Amino acid sequence: MKHFSKGLIAGAAAIVLNFAAPTVNAATPEDQLVIGTSLAQVLSLDPQQATEAKAIEIMSNLYDRLVKTEDRKIAPQLAESWEIDDKGITFHLRDATFASGNPVTADDVVYSLGRLTKLDQASAANFKRIGYKADNVDKLVKAVDPKTVRIELSGETTAELLLYRLAMNVASIVDSVEVKKHVENNDYGNAWLRTNSAGSGPFTLKRWTPNEMVIIEANDKYVGGAPHMRRVIVRHVPESQVARLMLERNDIDIASALSAADLKTFEGQQGFEVQRVPTGGFYVLSMNAGNPYLANPKVRKAIAYSIDYKGIEQTIMGPYGRVRNVPVPEDYEYAIPNPDWHFDAAKAKALLAEAGYPDGFSLTLKTIAQTPRIDLATAIQGSLGQVGIKVDIQQGNGSDIIADHRARNFDLLIPQTGAYMPNVLGAMEQFSSNPDNSKEANNAGNFVWRSAWDIPELTVLTAKASLEPDAKKRGALYVEMQEKFVEQKPAVLPLFERFEPIVVNSRVKDYVGHPSLLTRLEGVTKASD
Amino acid sequence: MKELTASELARRILHLIVSLFILLCVTFVIGRVLPSDPVGAIVGELADPAAYEAMRTRLGLDLPLYQQFFIYLQGLFRGDFGQAILTGNSVASDMLQAFPATFELATLAVIISAVVGVPLGLAAALFRDSFVDKFARVVALVGHSTPVFWFGIVGLVIFYAALDWVGGPGRIDVFYEGMVEPVTGMLLVDSLLAGETEIFWNALSHIILPAAILAYMAMAYITRMTRSFTLEQLSQDYVIAARAKGAGPARTVAHHVLPNIAVQLITVLAISYGNLLEGAVVTEIVFSWPGIGQYMTNALMIGDMNAVLAATIIVGFVFMLLNFIADIAYAVLDPRTREVAR
Repeated sequence: MKHFSKGLIAGAAAIVLNFAAPTVNAATPEDQLVIGTSLAQVLSLDPQQATEAKAIEIMSNLYDRLVKTEDRKIAPQLAESWEIDDKGITFHLRDATFASGNPVTADDVVYSLGRLTKLDQASAANFKRIGYKADNVDKLVKAVDPKTVRIELSGETTAELLLYRLAMNVASIVDSVEVKKHVENNDYGNAWLRTNSAGSGPFTLKRWTPNEMVIIEANDKYVGGAPHMRRVIVRHVPESQVARLMLERNDIDIASALSAADLKTFEGQQGFEVQRVPTGGFYVLSMNAGNPYLANPKVRKAIAYSIDYKGIEQTIMGPYGRVRNVPVPEDYEYAIPNPDWHFDAAKAKALLAEAGYPDGFSLTLKTIAQTPRIDLATAIQGSLGQVGIKVDIQQGNGSDIIADHRARNFDLLIPQTGAYMPNVLGAMEQFSSNPDNSKEANNAGNFVWRSAWDIPELTVLTAKASLEPDAKKRGALYVEMQEKFVEQKPAVLPLFERFEPIVVNSRVKDYVGHPSLLTRLEGVTKASD
Repeated sequence: MKELTASELARRILHLIVSLFILLCVTFVIGRVLPSDPVGAIVGELADPAAYEAMRTRLGLDLPLYQQFFIYLQGLFRGDFGQAILTGNSVASDMLQAFPATFELATLAVIISAVVGVPLGLAAALFRDSFVDKFARVVALVGHSTPVFWFGIVGLVIFYAALDWVGGPGRIDVFYEGMVEPVTGMLLVDSLLAGETEIFWNALSHIILPAAILAYMAMAYITRMTRSFTLEQLSQDYVIAARAKGAGPARTVAHHVLPNIAVQLITVLAISYGNLLEGAVVTEIVFSWPGIGQYMTNALMIGDMNAVLAATIIVGFVFMLLNFIADIAYAVLDPRTREVAR
């Protein structure tokens, strides 16, 4: 019998070794970048449709836009220069070509912006909000000559704020000649462009297999010269621990969906760098002002004093966020200092008593079951419990929790946001504008409406700021908006400024996470082992 | 077990179809009643109401439930499972892509589990209460009671990260990606067809760990069942007689036990195969395996019910089909079952 078991073990080992022999575990090749992340929510790679974060990161490398943001300032991309006057902006295009070989012309710009508003997906919202719609876009955006485009102001925005929107991924310029070849049933080529690329960016889309991987390849016709990486592979690795092993084994170069615990193992570890990419957005505690308790500003103030921001920052948020209770990142121009909200149980209890609830009450807290939101919810439950507010946590996946948020079906809920422009308005607009708070308005796309928080004054102020052409006056309005926000004891309470932590293998050079997810990879190089 | 006549066969096929229909109804109702919001998932968190409503209408979610079901059924008869929100492709084409990956994994797993599990069960029964028997029982118990998720991670830590014996998660090393054109969708087969042995070995090094871990789960069951079938045979008169005449263990097994338990084993293997297809769900997530399990999980997360329904129906169908085949095999191969019925 002993012989038998020995034989068995030896046999098993031989089999395994045999299988293992041909796999020489080499690191990723020098001219290929491999990113491990979760692709679960990538539903489309059409720039005028997709708004999901991972999709934007990929598309920002397939397409160029007229302008880009660099260090939060507008910089040229496809437009070499532009002139601003009272009525609009005239752009002069550089000599670039699409990956197909077609030149980038004014017609492509007209077509792309028209496509955005006429496809009319969620991605068009940021342009519709400032008056660029399907029925007026042909009048507002015109080709002057093949290399000149004129965009008229809609009357609902300033030129500067329009420029920031033109730097967004949704305003990517597509190859109109190529896309028009693939139009079916007036879909503006959407069915085709979801899984193909037609851009002038440094890479082209080679393959997208949902839930498996996206492969993009160097575009040798790119105006800036072919990028160093021959191809970039974005792999779907939904399990954080698995991503960690792959990173340690050199099978992936960058991991961007790690849990807090796995991130911690890379802090200070040689050969790896942990980057905190700012998003301009926040982790927020949304309170439903339709709930009688939460309608009371005193109660909201009590809650603001019932959260141990500093403690949570140290123990839970770590690389994910830093304390901030104003919805504008603290290093933005015109950002005001934080209000003095800190954990103070006595003060919170006094405020609750003043509001008429000395014995507290019960609330539910809904959150997506995801790092770090789930730990954040537990911490809030604990500290609110100390002041007499009993909290029941309900967790769910993205589609349930977002649906409840949209339907105003919650007491407390933890959403997260991102800034769409790197300035006060881009960060704050979602928090400070709610044109019609009635239930009938059914404005579920509005972040504040979902909390039933009625803020007419702030809404007016926000609209005023978006139309103020004078930078100095606009700055003053920005400050006023933030002060008013704090004063009203927000029902959409920003808790932490949000960062996306990623781990990068030290072999990778010049990978710089972009605050609007528009990380470009053309400058990335890799050192040999 | 009745004799397998034409009418009996027809009855069973009808039974299969009815079961499938019930599965379809239940999954459909659960899917539509769940408080998930596929529309929100598609149009994004901050979409305006018009875009939201337009998408809802496009997906037909504004219709009453029975109408939605009817439309779905109509499509089904044309082989149209609807469009997947997750990928925008037709669900049928997604299934054609995801199913071979799962099929390959489950098939290799069932082969491994049979090759190891059956001899182990036989040995355990032949040498009852010996070391082999105890070993087999411990193996079976551990396999039965440990979550596959845990095994997956531990397996990766040991064999992939520490020892570097096997390839990592995914079906192949990244630099081989896209080098083999899919024919069957099964990489092992396709790479051989293309004559790419290097890729074959690479794919094998990737599949061996998840397949072995899946196999272990099934093996636990196969070993236990083989052991008990064999024990039952060993106590039969004809075996006792054969052994009394001096037949050694090998001869006893080969000539007497195996032929008699073969039919029962087919049933066990068929059930295991079905279970493996299901069990692949968790394994696929741990190993980033782009099969039906992972596809279904992601679809569930965003409330993409067309995709979930199709995956459920296909897995359910294969499961039922395997049982059906096992049943038929039973009736065809084992004359005793017919005689007993008479």
